[in-house]
Amino acid sequence: MIAAHETSVVAVSKRTGQVLAAGADARRMLVRAAADVVLMPTLRMGRPLTIGRHPRPQPVVAQPKRRSMSGGLFVLLCAAMAALSIVSQQPWALGAVDAARSALAPAEGALASAGDQVDRVTSMFGDVSALRAENQRLRVADEQLRSQVLSLSQAARENDALRQALDFERASGFHTRPAQVVGRGPDAFSRAMVVDRGTADGVKAGMVVVTGAGLLGRIDRAGPHESTVRTLADSSSPVAVVLVNANLQGTVVGGGDRLRLDVPNAAAIAVTKGDWVLTSDAGRTYPPGLVVGEVADVTRGVGSTTDHSDLAWVNDPARVTFVLVITDFTPS
Amino acid sequence: MRWAAAAAVILAAALLQSAWGPRLEIVGAFPNLVLLVVLAGAWTLGPRAGMAWACAGGLLLDLLAAGPLGPHALALVPGAYAIGLLARGRHQPHALVVAVAAAVMTVFYSAVLVLFHPAPAGTAMRLAVAAALYNSLLAPFVFAPVRRMVLGTITRRAQA
Repeated sequence: MIAAHETSVVAVSKRTGQVLAAGADARRMLVRAAADVVLMPTLRMGRPLTIGRHPRPQPVVAQPKRRSMSGGLFVLLCAAMAALSIVSQQPWALGAVDAARSALAPAEGALASAGDQVDRVTSMFGDVSALRAENQRLRVADEQLRSQVLSLSQAARENDALRQALDFERASGFHTRPAQVVGRGPDAFSRAMVVDRGTADGVKAGMVVVTGAGLLGRIDRAGPHESTVRTLADSSSPVAVVLVNANLQGTVVGGGDRLRLDVPNAAAIAVTKGDWVLTSDAGRTYPPGLVVGEVADVTRGVGSTTDHSDLAWVNDPARVTFVLVITDFTPS
Repeated sequence: MRWAAAAAVILAAALLQSAWGPRLEIVGAFPNLVLLVVLAGAWTLGPRAGMAWACAGGLLLDLLAAGPLGPHALALVPGAYAIGLLARGRHQPHALVVAVAAAVMTVFYSAVLVLFHPAPAGTAMRLAVAAALYNSLLAPFVFAPVRRMVLGTITRRAQA
């Protein structure tokens, strides 16, 4: 009989029902072999447990059967998730999905702004070390002054981005709505981003999103106060383009962190590195004349009539902080 | 209590991954906190609980990403199932074993995810390998506290 001091639990083998250890030894055993051992109170149904063979703590299911249950659950879950990925794209399901996304947006935004603060602090430390190395006089600069300088430089960066945006609106003639990036997609394949404007601000799914530098993507889903942008890096966002110098039509397709340019080129006109790529009016899915990028590398297979190129995108999705949503362009 | 703790950990991991992951990008790869939490859960609690954690974490990532619900969950479930089966009955694993498990699970995850976001083979492979290395380096630091938390809730439950 167990009547040891402070012994409240015993470790019992799941397979044999054998009591293996008691008290602190039992807890240590659980840490070492959690899957084989279960902790039980020493008094069960008013009767003490005894050392040695003991009725199994619970109906022990044979190992192969439990495995097959897990296998069944695995197949069921995979099928359910695959079905969900289809169902969640149906128009009647979008409302519920958007509501769930909107519920998560405030927490994500708060964490993102906390990240901005951390960035600011770390950049301050970086600046301090650089200034110490470069200039002895700045070593004694006042901490408050440095903070002000950093705040001003942050504001200047934002100002530059906004000015670029304003220039774009003037030059293009489109009505735009500025938005700030408050979140980014959690994987490296889609490069999606979340902006702080939604249907309450006149932003709708399908609207084109640009920066001062050029085309970024399209609104994928619009919630009341935030929207998700599907960027060109997503392979499901092909763009019809034209090469400025070669005057050839082509298609830009995303994939991971790169953009690929495919140009049907039966006449074998030279596509050169450095040629600028703009949106074309083919298909009218994007406004024509938006800058997409610059040809970085050209490959042409033997006997092929299509040139494949890597494209240097004018936008780096990891660094974009402000975007413009074009509100008065309707794709045909 | 155990499920509440698990839900809190998974929610925190998903939000942190979405808000901070892109800031910690290295050669195109993001750290995947949810994957590492699911790894620890599957290793400690077995395949069934591991798959439940994978579904919850994956759906949260889907909500935080563009596109349909399901791809991230579908990408995490096979890894959780495999790890849960392989780790059943194993003792406290060595950090190196955890790192290798995280790398393998990341490759599984990337292979499924790339089906929903097609990328050129070279790019997909580079991103998958970089993410696998990244996650394997982080894995021991995430695995130990999550496993401790899970075992703590089990012990408290047994004492109650």
